[in-house]
Amino acid sequence: MSAGAGDVRPAGGPGGGAWLVVADAGWPAALRVARGTSSGVSAAVVGPRALADAVAAAGVPVLWAEPAGGTPAEAYAAPLAEQLAAERPALLVGTTHPASRALLGAAAALAGARLLTGAVAAEPTTGGTGGTDGTGGSTGAGGSAWTVRRTLLDGAVVETLDSPSPVALLVQGAGADDDAPPPAPVAGTVRPVAAAPAAMTLTTVPSAEPAGGLEDARVVVAFGRGVRSRDDVALIERLADALGAQVACSMPVADDRGWLDRSRYVGRSGRHIAPRLYLTVGISGAPQHLEGVRGAQVVAAVDQDPAARIFRVADYGVVGDLYEVVPALITALQG
Amino acid sequence: MRVVIVYSWARDTGAASVRADGSVDWRGGRTAPGEDDPAALAVARQLAEDTGGEVTGLTLGDGDASWVLARGVGSTWSVGDAPLLADDAATAGILAAAVRAIGDVDVVVVGDAAERAGVPAALAGLLGWPALLGVTAASAVGEAPGAAGTAGTAGATDGVGAADATAVRVTRPSPSGTETITAAPPLVLGVAAESGTHRAPGMKELLAARRRPVTPLTLARIGAGADDVTSRGTELPPAAPTRVFEGPPDQVAGQLVAALRAGGVL
Ligand SMILES: Cc1cc2nc3c(=O)[nH]c(=O)nc-3n(C[C@H](O)[C@H](O)[C@H](O)COP(=O)(O)OP(=O)(O)OC[C@H]3O[C@@H](n4cnc5c(N)ncnc54)[C@H](O)[C@@H]3O)c2cc1C
Repeated sequence: MSAGAGDVRPAGGPGGGAWLVVADAGWPAALRVARGTSSGVSAAVVGPRALADAVAAAGVPVLWAEPAGGTPAEAYAAPLAEQLAAERPALLVGTTHPASRALLGAAAALAGARLLTGAVAAEPTTGGTGGTDGTGGSTGAGGSAWTVRRTLLDGAVVETLDSPSPVALLVQGAGADDDAPPPAPVAGTVRPVAAAPAAMTLTTVPSAEPAGGLEDARVVVAFGRGVRSRDDVALIERLADALGAQVACSMPVADDRGWLDRSRYVGRSGRHIAPRLYLTVGISGAPQHLEGVRGAQVVAAVDQDPAARIFRVADYGVVGDLYEVVPALITALQG
Repeated sequence: MRVVIVYSWARDTGAASVRADGSVDWRGGRTAPGEDDPAALAVARQLAEDTGGEVTGLTLGDGDASWVLARGVGSTWSVGDAPLLADDAATAGILAAAVRAIGDVDVVVVGDAAERAGVPAALAGLLGWPALLGVTAASAVGEAPGAAGTAGTAGATDGVGAADATAVRVTRPSPSGTETITAAPPLVLGVAAESGTHRAPGMKELLAARRRPVTPLTLARIGAGADDVTSRGTELPPAAPTRVFEGPPDQVAGQLVAALRAGGVL
């Protein structure tokens, strides 16, 4: 990035502080982790002006690179990393979004930082062994030791880790919080910087699916292999009608059985949605499925197996045969 | 193009079990093919095929070399004494050193596993190469973006000689549709599988795999360190706040609807 880009300093002054690396809308989750460290937080944003404004509106000084038309954010990884290394970050935080990760990986390498996935919290280690292992590199902030908590095994456990040197943290970002008011632009806290991108081109082909489907739905009812026959889908549709909901499904329902269009399955390789209520019926809760609904506010599940994984992540669970529970739910909703 | 496929480089999270005290039993902690490895291998093979190039395997620790060798890869390298590390940058450091030892590599393809999401990103950073992550497919194309007058209009390899295929075109899903990115090697690609169905190799392929070479590497030989962060151990997350209703269908249905209404969700 160009000279003069270093005008934005972390509140803690040069040589330290937490830096947020942003290229996607999931950044509030990363900001929460950065703020929890009680370090001064600054941000490097690669994306449209609205993204930089949104971060600035959260009270974070922003260095902003705007990708030229048809250039992906990843093309700015190397110049951004140089810029950040010059700031001697003690902590780098970003989301697992592909572009954000590419930026964070480059920045971590240049800053000589450890890179920990699944981070949920971090704090400086008092009386740590800062800088003793030599991995801080010449640009890393020596003496910066951290204790990091991160989830493992799809959230089944939390691990506590000690790092003697600066760390870069990957935080699971959720979708944008749709209840938050749109940020007002904050004048003076977004500093545009010039950066020469790597030679790359980006084109986006919009999805063929008609808009106004799952992505915007406030309530979604999703069913899985617990539903036995195609004719029984009508039962799920009646439940969806009673809830004013859209209907979604797990991957095998769309892929193997072809009962719903492929645009209707939720998950890692399917739709990523963030409804207010996600009600599952006969879905076991495989991690690949749940990846598509991390942004849901409330998850409720109906399954006959009390040990189904879905009951470990749902807010509400009903243990029972869906062929009995769903008609009863329809009646209760109409009452 | 010389493409390296990194496979079986992490523990099998599916085999791990959580004990009542929150500690994890890794069942021996061996490395295993990740669920994204078959998709990553398919991408690696596609790029090699498009360019008349070759795929070389790379694995860490006790990774089973026959996994790639039985799937058509001619040779593989193995850093046998690489330990399993919590720090993704440290794992990437070993991989980067191995890629340098292999030499003349154009593209490194790695399964983009959620539990190890930092590894492909840090690997690219340490190599000083761009990273394209969350990729679901890739092919080689005729010209790199930025080539005189033709930026962004590179054609597919059809009709383009293998030697002319100088750029890589990847696709990946995005919230608004499908993204296509074209970039010139060297590159690191993180590949995310879209499903779990892949063909297993037959007996003939397994037998052929035994005759293919595995080049052993050591941390000392590639000049890699294995410093890690220190784990204080694992614990169960704060008690899951799931409210589970059990009982007659009418009763539990009524309870769920009442709870959702009381919570302002309905
Ligand atoms: C690389 C990869 C990517 C993937 N991507 C996705 C993805 O994007 N989306 C996705 O959904 N999956 C994805 N999968 C598949 C995923 O791993 C699971 O196989 C799938 O989600 C299971 O679907 P299910 O829950 O409908 O079926 P099952 O796991 O078979 O669960 C069925 C559930 O129904 C319950 N049940 C049965 N009968 C009844 C009854 N009468 N009443 C009440 N409950 C009943 C059972 O107890 C069980 O819990 C992916 C897999 C891989 C390897």
